[in-house]
Amino acid sequence: MREVVQLGIYQFSAVYLLLIVVLAIMKRSKINQTKLLIVASFRMTVQLVLAGLVLTYIFENRHPLFTALYLTAMIAFSIKRTLGKSPGLNKRFKLAVAASIALSGLSVLVFFVTGIVGQNIANPQYTIPLAGMIVGNAMTGVTLALKAFSDSLKSQRAKIDSLLNLGASPDKILLPYVNNALETALLPTMNGMVGMGIVSLPGMMTGQILSGTLPTTAIMYQIAIMIAICTTVCLAAFCSLHFGYKTLINKRNQIKLIGD
Amino acid sequence: MENILFKANRLCFFETICFANIAIPAGRTTFVTGPSGTGKSTLLRLFNGVLSPTHGEIFYNGKNLKELDTIDLRQRVLLVSQAVFLFEGTIRDNFKAFYEHRELPAPSDDVIAEFLTVCCLPFAPDASCNNMSGGEKQRLYLAIFLSFRPEVLMLDEPTSALDETTARRVMGNILDYCRKEKITVIAVSHDKALTEKFAENILALERVENNYA
Repeated sequence: MREVVQLGIYQFSAVYLLLIVVLAIMKRSKINQTKLLIVASFRMTVQLVLAGLVLTYIFENRHPLFTALYLTAMIAFSIKRTLGKSPGLNKRFKLAVAASIALSGLSVLVFFVTGIVGQNIANPQYTIPLAGMIVGNAMTGVTLALKAFSDSLKSQRAKIDSLLNLGASPDKILLPYVNNALETALLPTMNGMVGMGIVSLPGMMTGQILSGTLPTTAIMYQIAIMIAICTTVCLAAFCSLHFGYKTLINKRNQIKLIGD
Repeated sequence: MENILFKANRLCFFETICFANIAIPAGRTTFVTGPSGTGKSTLLRLFNGVLSPTHGEIFYNGKNLKELDTIDLRQRVLLVSQAVFLFEGTIRDNFKAFYEHRELPAPSDDVIAEFLTVCCLPFAPDASCNNMSGGEKQRLYLAIFLSFRPEVLMLDEPTSALDETTARRVMGNILDYCRKEKITVIAVSHDKALTEKFAENILALERVENNYA
């Protein structure tokens, strides 16, 4: 296989010129998010440069502790971000979300790295990038699930109150919202799978092909990671919602909605 | 001596709402009146256990509410809230959906018709609810809740979406039905004329300084 072309720093910097196109369109369409675009591009650059440096160090000085630390930081960050985007959750709900993301992500990751790839879980070359994809998608899925859940509860207050006054069990009242939110969380991943290979060549596969991997190997990794992502999103969203919604109900069968 | 159904002492819901001692007689129609913010709706929600008092205790038939199963209590002490909610579909679909939530079989069309008549809603069970007016929806909502025949029916502004004549007819019918079935009624209403006409007992709430907490 051919080696990947190394990007020179000047050559690479030219890619930022594309952002001028985005800025021009945003200005014309009166989208007042110039600052966000600049901050986002800057943050992404700094974060990825740092990640690159840290990963280089970890790859050169292989130690299980480094892999574990990197994984922990990754999971902690994704939990923090998910909770930051889901305001109003009570403490126990937050705990349910954190545990769900961490445990679902880790269990699927261990299965993938040791069972599918056949590598040691401490091998940073496999564990770290795969964890990034798995945990990152779990974060997006759970955020989406919590938003859908919280929004539907807010908009259905009259229904919830009516059924509670009627003497229906709080579980029976809230479960349909739990199930709907789970569906909302799963749809983007499944829709992504439907278009994959025809509409888009996914990121991991593109990366592997660019770096010289045979396309037949690359697709196997891609298929495996998509299934792993789908499973993690499903598990993490399911556990977050199922353990989370119970924290809205107290022993007196009263419901305290998110943000109340 | 009169039988007291609800009794509450030194009751508060957080610091903003406190009540003087309360006694609601059984088998009669009690209207709860008072200016906004005195906790009329909150009181009904404390009675059916959807809310818990932050101070004080409530007794239902002499039993402390804390010791009662809340789901069972809500089924016996049924609150028809101010905000009307109906499912999509027909009148029959709505009865069915509400009964499913109580894990009960859907009532027959005859039973549905009986309660629609009580609530002055001249529609067939297969009429759609989607294009009903606010007043019609409110009457259907009342009809559905009344059809569960609770021990106590609590009505929070039950006629807010109805004109004066309809309000009197509906209220009159509901109270006649409840008297016949020995259902105690507790109603909150801003309508003074309605209160004067139908109240057998009035609980006038006023702002009470919170001296308990």
